[in-house]
Order: sequence, then C-alpha cells, then structure tokens
Amino acid sequence: MGAVSAFFRSFSCRPGLGASQGARRIQPQILMTRMRNQALMRNFSIIAHIDHGKSTLADRFIELCGALANREMAEQVLDSMELERERGITIKAQSVALDYVANDGFSYRLNMIDTPGHVDFSYEVSRSLTACEGALLVVDAAQGVQAQTVANCYTATELGLEIVPVLNKLDLPTADPERVITEIEEIIGIDASQALRVSAKTGAGVRDILEAVVARVPAPKGDAEAPLQALIIDSWFDNYLGTISLVRVKQGRLVAKQRIRLMATGREYVVEQIGIFTPKRQRVESLAAGEVGFVMAGIKDVRGARVGDTMTTARNPAAAPLSGFKEIKPHVFAGLYPVDSRDYDMFRDALDKLCLNDASLHSEPETSAALGFGFRCGFLGMLHMEIVQERLEREYGLKLITTAPTVVYEVVTKKDEVISIDNPAKLPEPSNIVETREPVIRATILVPPDYVGAVIGLCVEKRGIQRNMQYVGRQAVLTYDLPLNEVVLDFFDRLKSASRGYASFDYEFLEFRAARVCKLDVLINGEPVDALSAIVHQDQGPYRGREVVKKLKELIPRQMFDVAIQAAIGSRIIARETVKALRKNVTAKCYGGDVTRKRKLLEKQKAGKKRMKQLGSVEIPQEAFLAVLRVAEK
Amino acid sequence: MVQIAYLPPLALYVHIPWCVRKCPYCDFNSYRAPGAIDELAYIDALLRDLDQDMPRVWRRRILSIFIGGGTPSLFCPDSIDALLSGVRARLPFDADTEITLEANPGSADVVRFTGFREAGVNRLSIGIQSFDPEKLQVLGRIHGREEALHALDAARRAGFSNVNLDLMFGLPQQTPGQALADVRRAIDLAPEHISLYQLTIEPNTLFSADPPVLPDEDAVWEMQQRLQDLLAQNGYHQYEVSAYAKAGKLCQHNLNYWQFGDYLGIGAGAHAKISDPQGITRLAKLKHPNAYVASAGTPAGIISTQRLSREDVIIEFMMNALRLTEGFPAQLFQERTGLPLAVVMPTLKSAASKGLLSYDGQTIRPTETGKRLLNDLLCLFVPAEDTALARAPVTGVRTVDTASS
Repeated sequence: MGAVSAFFRSFSCRPGLGASQGARRIQPQILMTRMRNQALMRNFSIIAHIDHGKSTLADRFIELCGALANREMAEQVLDSMELERERGITIKAQSVALDYVANDGFSYRLNMIDTPGHVDFSYEVSRSLTACEGALLVVDAAQGVQAQTVANCYTATELGLEIVPVLNKLDLPTADPERVITEIEEIIGIDASQALRVSAKTGAGVRDILEAVVARVPAPKGDAEAPLQALIIDSWFDNYLGTISLVRVKQGRLVAKQRIRLMATGREYVVEQIGIFTPKRQRVESLAAGEVGFVMAGIKDVRGARVGDTMTTARNPAAAPLSGFKEIKPHVFAGLYPVDSRDYDMFRDALDKLCLNDASLHSEPETSAALGFGFRCGFLGMLHMEIVQERLEREYGLKLITTAPTVVYEVVTKKDEVISIDNPAKLPEPSNIVETREPVIRATILVPPDYVGAVIGLCVEKRGIQRNMQYVGRQAVLTYDLPLNEVVLDFFDRLKSASRGYASFDYEFLEFRAARVCKLDVLINGEPVDALSAIVHQDQGPYRGREVVKKLKELIPRQMFDVAIQAAIGSRIIARETVKALRKNVTAKCYGGDVTRKRKLLEKQKAGKKRMKQLGSVEIPQEAFLAVLRVAEK
Repeated sequence: MVQIAYLPPLALYVHIPWCVRKCPYCDFNSYRAPGAIDELAYIDALLRDLDQDMPRVWRRRILSIFIGGGTPSLFCPDSIDALLSGVRARLPFDADTEITLEANPGSADVVRFTGFREAGVNRLSIGIQSFDPEKLQVLGRIHGREEALHALDAARRAGFSNVNLDLMFGLPQQTPGQALADVRRAIDLAPEHISLYQLTIEPNTLFSADPPVLPDEDAVWEMQQRLQDLLAQNGYHQYEVSAYAKAGKLCQHNLNYWQFGDYLGIGAGAHAKISDPQGITRLAKLKHPNAYVASAGTPAGIISTQRLSREDVIIEFMMNALRLTEGFPAQLFQERTGLPLAVVMPTLKSAASKGLLSYDGQTIRPTETGKRLLNDLLCLFVPAEDTALARAPVTGVRTVDTASS
C-alpha cells in the first residue's frame, strides 16, 4: 500500500503545471506524458568524510520530503549493502529522488546521489559527481576539514559543480564553526562565509540546506528533444532481473519499450522498465534530459552495461558518446583463488558480476603452482580489496584465498625493455634487471599539531620525503612523497594510531622511481610457495623475512609432521621456524551412545580443514597468505 | 545396497542417570540425585522399555550386560537384582555372561558389593580417577584417597574377580611424576582391567564454562608414553585408545561396541544400535529421568529412530573399529556394515599413503601415527562437504523489491 501511495505522490507534483500543493489533486494518468520542467530539478551529491554525518543528513532529507513512512525508515536508508552498514561506510553510489516543496511554493524534484567517503573509492565519487550540478560539502564542525574531503571537493570543482558548504554537528559542545570556516577557505580555497550551520542529529537547519540546494545549485540543462545520451553511472546484476543500470540522462528522453543502443559495444536492447528510487524502486514512463533513474533492458550479459558507457536510441542515435569516465588504474594487485578448485567456475562468474558493478576492479586469469587456477585482481587500495573479498564470500558463498597484495613495479631489463610487474612471481632474475622502479604517491595528510611529530616519524620510517608543511586553523597540512608499497602495507592503521585517529590522509599517484627492491621467497618444507612471495625493499628484506616466518608459525596449525618455514632472498635462507608435529588428536572416550556426538566433532574438524589449502602435504589456512602483509602489525 | 549376512553379537546397556553430584568434566547424561530415588519405579520403566525393544531382537542371545551411569552403585542391591531378574526372564543369556556395574568408591562397602555380586553382577568398574587428594578435589569427586584405595579391596572381599579401575591423566597442573604415581598405585592394587583416559574438556560441562589450566600438548604426550610403558611392563595390554587389560580380561561389552556389534540401550538417554539383514537402526531414549519413567515402554519414550545411510555406516564403523589397537580383520567390515570393502578402498589407500593405516590383505589397523592422530584418520571417512554452488544464497547480489502499481 505504501508503495502505491508514494507512486501517486511523486507523479502528482510534477512541475510544468505550476505544481504547487494544490496540484496533488489532479489525476496522475493525465500527467504521465507531461514533461518535467528542468527548472524544477536539482541534482546534487554530498561530499563528506566518514562519520561527518552524511548518512544521517541523507535520512533527514528523506524524512523531510516524506518519501518513506516512519516505520519504513530503517536507520540510514542509503547504505543498503549489509557490508556498508557493518563498516559504517558507503561504497556504492545510490540515488534518491525527493520531492521537496520549497519556500517559493514550487515543488522541486531533488535527485540526491550518494558518494563514498573512503579514499579507496574516490573513483566512485567522481562518477557520482558527474551526474550532478552541485554538491554539499559537509564538514564536521568539531573535527574540521579532512584530507579526503579536500580531494573530493577538488574533483567537484574540476567538474564545474556548485559547492554549498555545510557545517554539521553544531549541537556538539566542541563545535568551532569559525575555525572550520577558516580551514575550508584556506585548505580547500572556496568561499565559506555563507556556510550553513546545521545539526543532522537534531534536524536543526536541515531545511535551510534544501533551500540552498534549490537556490544555489543550477538546474540541469540539456535538450529533451535531442537524440538520447544517457550516461551509465552504475550497474549491478540481479539474478531475477538481469542488469540494472543507474543513468543520468544528458539529453533526449529515455522511454519504456524503446530500442536502445549501448555506444561502446554497439549492442541493442529493448528497455523493459525505467524508474527512480524514492528510495523505494518506482516505475516511471520516461526519463528526460536532466533526470536520474534506473533502466532495465533485459541485459543478461553482465558485461553488457559497463559503467561510463552511453545509452542512445537505436532509431535516432546520438552522433557521439559522452566522454564517460577516465579509465582508472588499480594500484594494488593480489591473487584470488578458490579454496576448493571445484568452485572455480562459480568464482569466475561472481567476479564477472562484481566487475560490472565496480569499474575499478580489474581481473585476469592466472595460475599459481601452489594455489591452482585463480585471478590476479587489481584494486584501488587495501579496503577495496577487503570489500571485494568479503562480498565474494558473503554474496556468492565462495571461500577464497587472497595472496599478499603488491603494487605494480616497473622493471628495466638488460634488453632495454620496460615491463610492468604486478606479481612477485613474475619478477625477472636479478641478473636480467638493469633497474627496478617503484610507484610513488604524493600524500596529503591533515593532522592536529599535537601529533605532527609522530606522523612525521611514521612518514620517515616509510621512506617518505617531505615536500611541504603548513599550519591552517588548528591543523597542519603535510605533503609527502611516499612509496606506494609502504602505504599499502599498513600505513592507514599506523597513521590512525600515531594520531589517535585525528589524522586524515589522501593521495594521488605521482611517478615511478628507481628503488632497491628484492624478492622475498617463502619455502614450506623446502618448496617455494609462489603465492607467499613478496617484493620488498632491500634494507628491510632480512627483517621482513624473519617476521613473515614468525607470523606463519603462529598461523599454520600443527600437522602430522614437522613443518619447516623458511624465508629466502635469492638462494640465501635468511630465516627459519618450525611448526612441531601434532602429538595427538584422539577422542579419549567413545562408547555406544556417544557415536553421533563424536561424529559431529569429526565433521567440524573436517569442515575446518576445508578452509585450508593443501600445499603438497601441508595444510595452510587462508589467513596465512596475508601474513606477509601483517608482519608490521605490532 | 546393504546386505548383512550374519547378524552381529548383541549386548545390553542399562543406564542409571543419577549421581550424588555432577562432576565438572562429565558430559554424560547424568543428574544430581534427588533426596530419595524411586528405584523400583525406574526399574519398572527399564523393563517396560526393554519389552518395547524386544521384537527388534527376537530370539537373539546377549553376550554382555553393562549397567552404567551416572552412578549405578547408588541403587541398592535389591533393585539391581530386580532388574537382572527381569532381563533374564526376557532375554536368553549364559550363566557366565559378563555383567558389569559401574561403582563409585564413595559408595563402596563390602555388604553392598556382596549384594550386587549375589544379584548376578560379575564385573565391577570403579571410577577412581586419581589417588591424589588434591586432584580428586579439582575433579569434583566425592571420594578421597582412602576410599579410592579401599574400593578394590571391598570388591575382592565381596567376591569380584574381574574389576576395572577408571583413571584419568593430564589433570590440571599434573606433572608426569604425579600421573605415574597414580597409575603405579593402581597397578599395585592389581585390577584385571584399567581404563586410562586423558582429561579433555567437553562442551556443556562446568569445565568448558570455566576451563582449568591443563598441561600442554607435549607434556601430556610425554605422560601418556610413560604411562603406556609402565602399564605394558606390568602386563596390562592396551587393546583400545584408553583400555588396558590383563590377558583374557578384555571388556567384552566395550569390545562389542568397538567391533561394531549390536546393542540394546534401555534407560534415560540410552542409545541402541540394531542390525537386520537390510540395514542398521539407531534408537535413542528420552533423556530426562522423569520424562523417561513416565513414557518408557510407549512410542513416546523413543525420541529418535534413525536408519543409517551408507555414509553413516562407513564413518561409524571406522570410528569404532579403528580405536582398536590391533585393528580389525578386513572381512569384519562387510560383516558388520553389509557393504563390500571396495567402497572404502580408495579411502583406505589414501590413509595408507599418509602413513595413518596399514592393510596387509587380512588386517586393517591404524599405524602408530594413525593411533596418535586418530581423528585425522577418521576425517578421511567423513563425507565431503558441498561446493560453493550448494552453499550460495538463492537470491542475487542486490534484491530489488518488486515495484507495484
């Protein structure tokens, strides 16, 4: 019932009729074919750091516009993936169409497109922003500007978006709006004198934000009568419905039953259903220039609707596709392998579906002597990698082994070739290498002055070179060149503890620089395990080797025989540990009535073994493959 | 297709579920005894229970009876006499059939034991656990060192010539020296049989909720080896994971379990395993004593009747037979499971290649490693788990609620 009434409500206040409260009485059927007036449309995103209150604010907007009955307002509607809620982060773009009656009496259609807050997902942010004309810059009035917010705000400015600064959490006693305004102006460089002061928690000032959106964010442009150009912002796969795409119509009109063409592939489909999220899924008859909504076109092939592609009509196609998004290069690579080789097909399928949803995820088949058939996957960062593995395991029931992640190195060979190495196993023999270059990033770190010393210490330990340091408001802005592999390892966690969580961090790729690195191999009972190899800095080789074998000793359970774990650089063994053989594993008592119960224990033990990978005769638990990474955790 | 050519030997297990106090390590179906137990009502229930099971074992002789618990020696000799008379009237068995009763040193006195002897019990199994007063206290036992030492003497004076002592090792803070002293003391008392168990923490016990500090794996292993040597030097021959006996004094009843023989089980929470030419059935009785007494002998008294599948039969046979130190003759597999040996041949070969098991064409036996790592060996016989396809959730990545209008 709720869905039906929401359906009528959203159509009854269609603009173009001088839509006002009174217009609600008009029969919806009559309105179906009418065009929405672009002047009464606003598309906007929210840029905010994690915990700065974006989701709460989004919930307030939904409440204020009455899109959901109270009982339907589960806390924080937008973070729809189970994972997102658990981690309290936003990973995927989501959109909500809201009907807001402004102080001028007109009802505006506000399309709010959510953006992820973590640096790993900055690519997703730029996609969301492309669909908008404006963005709210939400800053915690107590905590101040954070590094990722700065980066995302730059992206928005580059895309020509109108930025509306909002200071949130004014209800906190520690809120210091004047200081934060200074920070916004000096660090980001935009005028914040008109910044709105709100509390998403109490609801104070929330309406002012929507008024500001109406007043300051430009209405979308684009000729609804021109040939269709709709940009695919996001696509995901539903087992029952096929591919669903979130699109922004730039020009022309998308209508149900229409024959459309995807400009990158040239393939054609018939539109089955189009609609909007209110945030419930709701059918509409058409989406015209300036609007945001979803499209289902019976696309069964998961690669059929790539994010960034342009949809046009088959009959009257647009001359050229939209510019789409810049191809994103993953920074971190790791091998993913099913624990049970019988799951390979299922894994490939799942990865395909995930790639559709996540343009920044790269994958290529690879084989490992130790782990069999799998994929080498490219990720934007460590969090991205964890999220992908967790989604594959949860949503597809797969059990996977992830090998230690590595960055891409450039190797100049004696033949004067430059090759990219995304897998330690592929590193050429040292005698064939002229030079190895590692990726270096330019990092921006914002941190309160009290922790500057600790953060600088950390950067030095991570082989960082300071480029700049300045104090703004109550924060220091540090700029460092850092080798990416040091960042991948554990930089986030270390930064967090060095600054008690007050530092924020953002980076961009800078260049490849010559570096003294070597390959660290791990041997289990004398056999090198390719999946455990890592490329490390020469100075750290011996230390890392010792730490890895120590960690592996903790992780590999005792087995039927002694297990020797060795670390080697070239042919030189630099560390060794032994996992002593299991003494006994016997149930002391077993009589008639016990059999069923004891059998359950055996089944549990067997299930435990299933989570382990058999390497020769040694069973290695999944976590062991990440041990190389964990050595620096103290 | 299961085809059992010869029905296996049949034993009878009788469960008495009460104890003076529940021990913190015990995970058997036992209950603290109320002020006064209505023993005769319980014996009545046991016989009604047996009557109901009778048609399943028509005309078969029984080779042993085991009255276990709980603490069956809490019952007075007259009650045990009533029980055994009732059994005798229903099931045929020979005069020298092994009839064991479990007894607690705390309830051991010559008069009582003599009464059991007269009722027909010919083997006692006494739960000594340890002779060390400190360890007895940690284990929550109600008896002390003196009672432990005198229990066997009382049994002898009552005329028992076949007695087992239960002992435990790997006790909290136990040193190898202490464990050796315990077993040496037991050997000095010269019982016919010693059951020597490693203390393990079982789920749903007081110890699992509040675990004591146990000696580490290496220390326990050292202890076990020295205890095994000591027992062997004194003529106690190990024939199962935890069972040691003087020549000819093996426990027939337990041996029947481990050889995958049949058994009836009467009493609260008792289990039965009964073969017929086409397969094997397991029965389980109501666990709680009051509920059991109320419904014993009616269909409601049986909480589960399970026909074993091929996979069940294979793993359960192995779980029992591979506990035997000397293993089992190859043909026993087909005799007891009704399945040709060929069905487990690949697994036997894989176990042999791992050094866990040996098969010389006649006898299948666990190797030294196989005995140490019996659970790893048995895991090979546990049916394989499903692939991701079977585990995957039915719905898609994101389920979109169906729009309606």
